[in-house]
Amino acid sequence: MVPLTWYLVLAAALFAIGMFGVLARKNAVAVLMGVELMLNAVNINLLAFWRYTALGELVGHAFAVFVITVAAAEAAVGVALFIAVYRQRDTVNVEELDAMKG
Amino acid sequence: MSLNDLIFLLPELILLLAAAAIFILDLIGRRPDDPDTLMRPAKPWLSYVALGGLAAAALGLLPGVGQTRQVAAMLAADPFAIFFKALAILGVALVIAAALPYMRTRTPYVGEFYALLLVSAAAICLVVSAANLIMLYLAMEFLSITSYVLAGYFREDRKSGEAAIKYFLYGATASAVMLYGMSLLYGATGTTDLAGIAQALGQRGRADLLWLGGPAIILLLVGFGFKASLVPFHQWAPDTYEGAPTPVTAFLSTASKAAGFAILIRVFLSALPDLQPLWVALLALVSVLTMTLGNLTAIRQTNIKRMLAFSSIAQAGYILIGVAAVAAESGATAGPFDGINGVLIYLFAYLVTNVGAFAVVIAVENRSGKVEIKDYAGLIRRAPWLAVALFIFLLSLAGIPPTAGFVGKLFVFGAAVRAAMIPLAVIGALNVVVSAFYYLNVVRVMFFVPPEPDAEPVVVARPLQATVLLTGALTLLIGLLPGWLIQWADQSVRLLAWR
Amino acid sequence: MEQLFFILLALLTLSAALMVVTTRNLLHAAFWLILVFFGIAGFFILLHAEFLAVVQVLIYIGAISTLIIFAIMLTRRIMDPQQPRFNSQWGLVGGLAALLFVVLAAVTTRVAWPTTSATLPAEPIKQLGADFVGVYAVPFEVASVLLVVAMIGAIIIARERG
Repeated sequence: MVPLTWYLVLAAALFAIGMFGVLARKNAVAVLMGVELMLNAVNINLLAFWRYTALGELVGHAFAVFVITVAAAEAAVGVALFIAVYRQRDTVNVEELDAMKG
Repeated sequence: MSLNDLIFLLPELILLLAAAAIFILDLIGRRPDDPDTLMRPAKPWLSYVALGGLAAAALGLLPGVGQTRQVAAMLAADPFAIFFKALAILGVALVIAAALPYMRTRTPYVGEFYALLLVSAAAICLVVSAANLIMLYLAMEFLSITSYVLAGYFREDRKSGEAAIKYFLYGATASAVMLYGMSLLYGATGTTDLAGIAQALGQRGRADLLWLGGPAIILLLVGFGFKASLVPFHQWAPDTYEGAPTPVTAFLSTASKAAGFAILIRVFLSALPDLQPLWVALLALVSVLTMTLGNLTAIRQTNIKRMLAFSSIAQAGYILIGVAAVAAESGATAGPFDGINGVLIYLFAYLVTNVGAFAVVIAVENRSGKVEIKDYAGLIRRAPWLAVALFIFLLSLAGIPPTAGFVGKLFVFGAAVRAAMIPLAVIGALNVVVSAFYYLNVVRVMFFVPPEPDAEPVVVARPLQATVLLTGALTLLIGLLPGWLIQWADQSVRLLAWR
Repeated sequence: MEQLFFILLALLTLSAALMVVTTRNLLHAAFWLILVFFGIAGFFILLHAEFLAVVQVLIYIGAISTLIIFAIMLTRRIMDPQQPRFNSQWGLVGGLAALLFVVLAAVTTRVAWPTTSATLPAEPIKQLGADFVGVYAVPFEVASVLLVVAMIGAIIIARERG
């Protein structure tokens, strides 16, 4: 069987890649994709911990289902915001959103 | 979960039902085939339905008063939660009253706006009573997602859209980081119950606990600090506070911020008591950064919403002093400066003060559309009562007696002295001095700078008058007769599974 | 055998994830993202969480990827290949992300995680269903209200005027 730490290191790598996407990308949709990678990394953690340390109860399972549900709701609101802002500005580039300064 | 548990969920249920009622009542008489009815301004009486719902929810708190128990496996019914639920309901009611004339002239979707504010009040009620990481995550996201919509409510407005996108991107990232921390805690303990986590962590070796606890605390603090706008997780706050509709700013900077503090306190106290030295040190550092950066940046602002945004960041720093100075022993032996009671007093005082200040900003903005500090020149002649009210709120924000803000600062700084964290108290006091400059600068502009020749008197609608009057009266009342609030806060420092 | 499969799947998923955050064309990035989601579903099957694998495919690939592709199509200019991919601090950010990985990996390998002696529940899906209306009844209801509110909110924000 694969050791638990393999999964945890995999999740850490995916989380770090997602964080890079969030911090380095200019486009809001690309930033959102980075966030989705981070959420998937968390889900690997949750299920790996469930499988290896707490098999009896389905806590990790339930948690992961809720994470996926919330991710869907969050993406819906996020995409709505992107579209509304694109209509006004013709861009969703985070660096060009600079109406406020100080 | 049993049917008896439902009585503890009354406030949430009433708020959600009232929100649903407003959604439906708002639609009656609008026909999808007739754009004119769709764009017709909302029925003004819907706001009174919203206020009625909030009043009913406040009554719904009564059955839970004085109880301390776990409800429906996921929630804590304790005096601490009741305090924050009451705070949220009061805050949202004040914001709705203040928003009444402002929203009507700016968006056709006023009904949905009130409904979403009620939903966010329900979300705060769930956040502050969550006793399980799963519940906590869902409730926080519930609050966040509603807030993103509220921040971006003026879709034709450049600043509002930008405010919402920044809030959304920071919020989604912060919650993903917080989730990673939650997953580590689950892995180490096999449970997501806060009390269960504390129990399992208590059986671990010291070195092991540090390897796990250090990262977990930092990751969780990203999520909580985002809600409470603590430095360095505050970058969204200035732009979001400036760009969002002003009533939403009032909500985000008070009730929503209080929810962030409530959950920070609950999780750190009841799930991570063995790591207290670690998080106390971290929170003290964050507190210093937050108040110093907030104040130093607020001085430079010319837009009053943006100035109040940085002021609100600085205030979060003062509040955090109380959490960092939390007493290890129980309230009775810790004396009057328990730490947590100071946080509660401060949050209540700050809520009425800050909503009041934003209500004045709404009144001026609604009349003139202007939000620069220089537009407040000669306000004492154009609207004497508003100017006097704003004067009281600014005194309270600066912490000058006899106002509510002074009482709050007394109790958090007192806790720092009791906990022998003298440097923290000294840095806090220096910050108060710095902050007095920019608060009193607004007073100078209002009272001593002559108004522009074309400046008109500010006429204020009645519900907004009521908000200003009520918040002003409460600010003075707490300042002059703080006894009831101190007593209530002392009794509310009772959390499920702590001490 | 299982270890070899894990390594191959991990290489595939991580390289797809790297493509997601580095590809210039966002539509291509979205397709790489779908590949990552499939990879994650594979890991769920390896972990004996078959139900989650199905949920992953249905919601992440069926709903969230579609939303993201919609967003890309509706905001066309962002597919412009002339657009810079990264902001100016991407080198620094890359270093930070690498550091984050090292720290998290060090933590996860150093902590003594508990072990379990329990066995897999006979019918995990049945138990999960019972949990959702039992222990998780309140979160379950909150999640459903959350979805409704998100839908209403998305309509308010994105609806065309008039």
